[in-house]
Amino acid sequence: MILTIVLATLLVGMTAALIRAIKGPTVYDRILASNALGTKTILVIVVLGFLMGDPSLYIDIALMYVLIGFIGTVAVLKVSEFGDLGQSRSRTEEDHS
Amino acid sequence: MLIEVVNVVILALLAVTALAAVRLNDLFAVTMMFGIYSLLATIMFVVLDAIDVAFTEAAVGVGISTVLMLGTIGLVGRRARKASHRPILPLIVVIITGAALVYGTLDMPRFTDPAAPVHQHLGPYFLNESPDQIGIPNVVTSILASYRGYDTLGELAVIFTAGIGVLGLLGLRRRKRPGHEGGAR
Amino acid sequence: MSTAIEILGGALLITGAFFVLIGATGLLRLPDILTRIHGASITDTLGAGAILLGLAMTAGWSLLTGKLLALLILMALLNPSASHALARAAVHGIRKPWLEKEDS
Repeated sequence: MILTIVLATLLVGMTAALIRAIKGPTVYDRILASNALGTKTILVIVVLGFLMGDPSLYIDIALMYVLIGFIGTVAVLKVSEFGDLGQSRSRTEEDHS
Repeated sequence: MLIEVVNVVILALLAVTALAAVRLNDLFAVTMMFGIYSLLATIMFVVLDAIDVAFTEAAVGVGISTVLMLGTIGLVGRRARKASHRPILPLIVVIITGAALVYGTLDMPRFTDPAAPVHQHLGPYFLNESPDQIGIPNVVTSILASYRGYDTLGELAVIFTAGIGVLGLLGLRRRKRPGHEGGAR
Repeated sequence: MSTAIEILGGALLITGAFFVLIGATGLLRLPDILTRIHGASITDTLGAGAILLGLAMTAGWSLLTGKLLALLILMALLNPSASHALARAAVHGIRKPWLEKEDS
């Protein structure tokens, strides 16, 4: 019962984050929404695992998700700040201003 | 009951995300939408009890493909160009194809129907015979690595080739500059 | 004894759900990106932490507890780092916090 409440709350939170991702005026809002959705996805997977009775497999997915999601977020932030993944140009002071 | 509700909510969010990804003009935002889409798809696969597919989606959808798309954005810029023609004919083709596919699924047995043909012949055969024929305890592994061994080998070749192609495309303009360590800080 | 731990776990789960709701509200209602980061990171730390800890308490002592705690530690390490990097990138990219905007 409690798990169902938690799952419903997480789904509401995911909807809110998706609304922010669609509305979000700046790119950073979208990154933030995607990040928040990632956290909630991990929680949903774990809670679903407990609801469906065999949590250990689901927790493995969640663990992998945390690690890969962090790589994704860092790559996204790098592109948003430097313009690319560091392929062709270096960061100069003009980029910064 | 609960699972159905989760299904409906996640499918609705998936549809909204896909529409938003089509409507947006900023390619960076579209990439974020794709990331969100694969997050939601992972939940969908978990709900459908397809753990291995969820693993793959988590690794490829969130990690690799986001990074690859971002690398592409670094090469081609962030703005989407306006379409130069009105895509009426492709739309008609797509609608007809989609309708034909939906019509085709009407003949399929219901999801998780135990009387479906695939559960009558193939499933019991593999479940009963694979420990004797192959000798691997995990049935999925024995099917993938032995019964469908050539298929898996071909898939690996395709993925390897695709990886080389992507690396060639993204690494094409890489220029080494002295005193510059990739912008990482 | 075990009942007390289960009640505590249930209370933690409800608390976590509450914080998830607060984070969602903050993500939707707050006025600009930096304040939104501040609101949304409640979900990342308090909400996720409380929910995972509550799950670990209700599940009992097994290998699962270790995995949940590993997940908890990873999230406690990585999510604030991601939030910090995001805030840093946002400050560089926007350079107009909400307070300055109110003056004009």
